[in-house]
Amino acid sequence: MTCPFLEYRSEANNRQFDEPRAYCGAAEQFVQPMRADICNNRYDLAHDEHCEIYLEHADEVSAGNENGNETENTGQSAGDGA
Amino acid sequence: MSYENYLAGEPVIITAALTGGVQGKEATPHLPETPEEIGKAAAEAEEAGASVVHVHARKDNGERTFATERFQEIDDEIRRQADDVIIQHSTGGTGASDEDRHLPLRTDPAPEMASLDMGPMNRYDHLTSENTRGLVDSLHEEMVERGIKPELEIFNDGHMNETYGLLERRDLAEPVYGTLIFGPGTLTPPKPRNFINAIDNLPEGAQFNTLGFGRHQLPFVTMGILFGGHVRVGLEDNIYYERGELATSNAQLVERVARIADELGREVATPSQARDILNL
Repeated sequence: MTCPFLEYRSEANNRQFDEPRAYCGAAEQFVQPMRADICNNRYDLAHDEHCEIYLEHADEVSAGNENGNETENTGQSAGDGA
Repeated sequence: MSYENYLAGEPVIITAALTGGVQGKEATPHLPETPEEIGKAAAEAEEAGASVVHVHARKDNGERTFATERFQEIDDEIRRQADDVIIQHSTGGTGASDEDRHLPLRTDPAPEMASLDMGPMNRYDHLTSENTRGLVDSLHEEMVERGIKPELEIFNDGHMNETYGLLERRDLAEPVYGTLIFGPGTLTPPKPRNFINAIDNLPEGAQFNTLGFGRHQLPFVTMGILFGGHVRVGLEDNIYYERGELATSNAQLVERVARIADELGREVATPSQARDILNL
């Protein structure tokens, strides 16, 4: 289950990328690759435990939305191992 | 190592930390992420004076990977584009499993060097990269098996104690090579007196590398040169050339420190000289 605020975008905030990159809808900015692993709950990371941005905005998330945002993503794997 | 080593004019090894594992192109468009980009950056850094390149692996969208196969792709590109530069893999990986942390050691051939984080480091507000003694020992063991020189990353004074602990638990090939790291958070506070203290605390016979984060990169590598140590620069640690001005490449940062070393009378080590100094 990925962070409900996670999106993958190729363009935002006057920035463009060849590959869609992790974008935080709560912070309204592209996030660092290390933080993207938290958004995606990869490895031993969990957005609802390790991300201060999610924790600050958790009350904005409806129960339905917290079930995952795969439909908002653009095909990026959420379960990437090494 | 000391000021006397500076006066002796011994060569200085410049390491270029090309990519890192934290920030990506969202921070600066000049940060290399793909194997091709990293290979090109390594070649340019070597041309500018780097004898070692410190390597992290990324996927095409910039996100982290620890896969042996991706490190292999990167190494192949570095060897294709660069001349003779020493490849140093990162074994760092906040949140990654201990098994994943071993994967960068398993390319063919193995990297000549790999980083070994000496203890915990906080990330963001709710996360710590633990780097337990058990993991340090198991990574060191595999490095020994595969002929890889460990670069001990000493984030703070407590990690100096951990370095002595590792020396009690394991036989390390001489010279011990440790990177003294200065910056915010868990790192050693970036003050000159802390730098002097750190080099005084190093194990006898150790060679040291100097790393300052952000705006501390330039002053601390200059101190590293003046006190007979080696230096690390690159976009992993600092994306700016001057205040408010992004560095345009890793090579730009290497060129500047090579110029400073030359002005201060220390020869910049070739990869061959670096191999001799570090006993690779």
